[in-house]
Amino acid sequence: MAGRRALKAVLIDLSGTLHIEDTAVPGAQEALNRLRQASVAVKFVTNTTKESKRILLERLQRLNFDLQEKEIFTSLSAARSFLEQKQHRPLLLVEDSALEDFTGIDTSEPNAVVIGLAPDHFNYQTLNKAFRMILDGAPLIAIHKARYYKRKDGLALGPGPFVTGLEYATDCKATVVGKPENTFFTQALSDLGCSPSEAVMIGDDARDDVGGAQNAGMLGILVRTGKYREGDEKKINPPPHLTCTSFPEAVEHILKNLL
Amino acid sequence: MAAVGWPGCAKSLKGVLLDMCGVLYDSGEGDGVAIAGSVEAVKRLKASDLQLRFCTNETQATREAFVAKLRRLGFDISVSEVFSPAPAAIAILKERGLRPHLLVYDGLLPEFDSVDKTNANCVVIGDAAEKFSYQNLNEAFRVLIGLENPVLFSLGQGRYYKETDGLKLDVGVYMKALEYACDLKAEVIGKPSPMFFQSVLSDMGLQPHEALMIGDDLVNDVGGAQSCGMKGVQVRTGKYRLSDEKHPTVTADGTVDNLAQAVDMILNQRGQ
Repeated sequence: MAGRRALKAVLIDLSGTLHIEDTAVPGAQEALNRLRQASVAVKFVTNTTKESKRILLERLQRLNFDLQEKEIFTSLSAARSFLEQKQHRPLLLVEDSALEDFTGIDTSEPNAVVIGLAPDHFNYQTLNKAFRMILDGAPLIAIHKARYYKRKDGLALGPGPFVTGLEYATDCKATVVGKPENTFFTQALSDLGCSPSEAVMIGDDARDDVGGAQNAGMLGILVRTGKYREGDEKKINPPPHLTCTSFPEAVEHILKNLL
Repeated sequence: MAAVGWPGCAKSLKGVLLDMCGVLYDSGEGDGVAIAGSVEAVKRLKASDLQLRFCTNETQATREAFVAKLRRLGFDISVSEVFSPAPAAIAILKERGLRPHLLVYDGLLPEFDSVDKTNANCVVIGDAAEKFSYQNLNEAFRVLIGLENPVLFSLGQGRYYKETDGLKLDVGVYMKALEYACDLKAEVIGKPSPMFFQSVLSDMGLQPHEALMIGDDLVNDVGGAQSCGMKGVQVRTGKYRLSDEKHPTVTADGTVDNLAQAVDMILNQRGQ
């Protein structure tokens, strides 16, 4: 690890890395506990458009993971800090379950458009309203740009198509706040007081977790759980710092080699 | 020929193509409203020695219903003079043996009565307006993502248009959404497709340099016409925005306040 400073923080993806739906990855809880005994900060980072931090926390605690709400940083948190920093008053096209992460944000006379995943809001009238605001100069902020996601009844459109449509209508480029954007990772690290070169990211998504983190100057570890498919590690350049079976193995590597 | 710009080119013209919404009328509640001077301007063009065709990306109604609306607004116009994307799409579907899943406005559905829609192997989207719900888009998406060779036809690719109560998103936005979701490129039927303009020129028996297109949409009307060799003039009505006059890729041959002014200038050049 020539030229790297000692590791100060570990960022951990949630879905697909610590758990798959309502089942924990075997050994993940104990591995997290071992990591916590080392002198390293831990943060949980995820692209979510509909689940508030509270909902995520409750699910992880049900699965016996030891963590606190303040250790969770999501694409919704990233959107919130972006709004606060720019002092925007958003029109929030997010699902009702995500609204609580925006509590306290002034939404009167909106002057910015935030797009998450909001099947109930993605209708002609609301999109027209968002469109007119953007045409009049309101910035377009995307929680992330996923094309589609898997639902119990089959595949369903993600926020990406709607963001792309509005970009086309208004000839503008959205500010994407979730993974794999650089700012997402630097914001996640900001209250830990460490730089990207002192941090590592563990996740199951080669592009969004590992590639994004490495582009931001961190190390990236790819786990072969969740959405991982054979050969994913070859989809990014430079390749992951490490590709391993699952989260516990990633923790062992960190404890042995990076501290 | 090459040196003659607008309005000098009007002297040698043989035909004029008019966009409809935003040039003849503004759509909206009920039939919408005729744009001041446009009814008279169409009358004067018809009385001149120029051929006249109407070229629209309108896909919310059948041509019959659409023409009836324009006649109610006072325009002298008949179905055979109007070119719209749906009939062009139907010809392509039949030629290629494709069976569409339709995401179009209810008013357009009768145009597709003769088309086999069972077991869809392509998707056709038009300006479905309030039918562009998440649910309906998702259905179109699932048809596409389930096909081995997904084919998406878009009736036009407009970004937005103006109704009496403000600007509205057009079909191009939803086309882009489905393109992104399915990682494909749609086939556009209607303006600005050169094939579409060519079919209008053939109907008039004219060469591109003998015809002029007048529209409010810089990219689809003016740019589309120019890229197949016609002149294109933009009107400052409908969806026109000041920023159109310094657009990075499309420069109109001329910009006029409205259709009435364009027709005045054309007929003046021709000494009529």
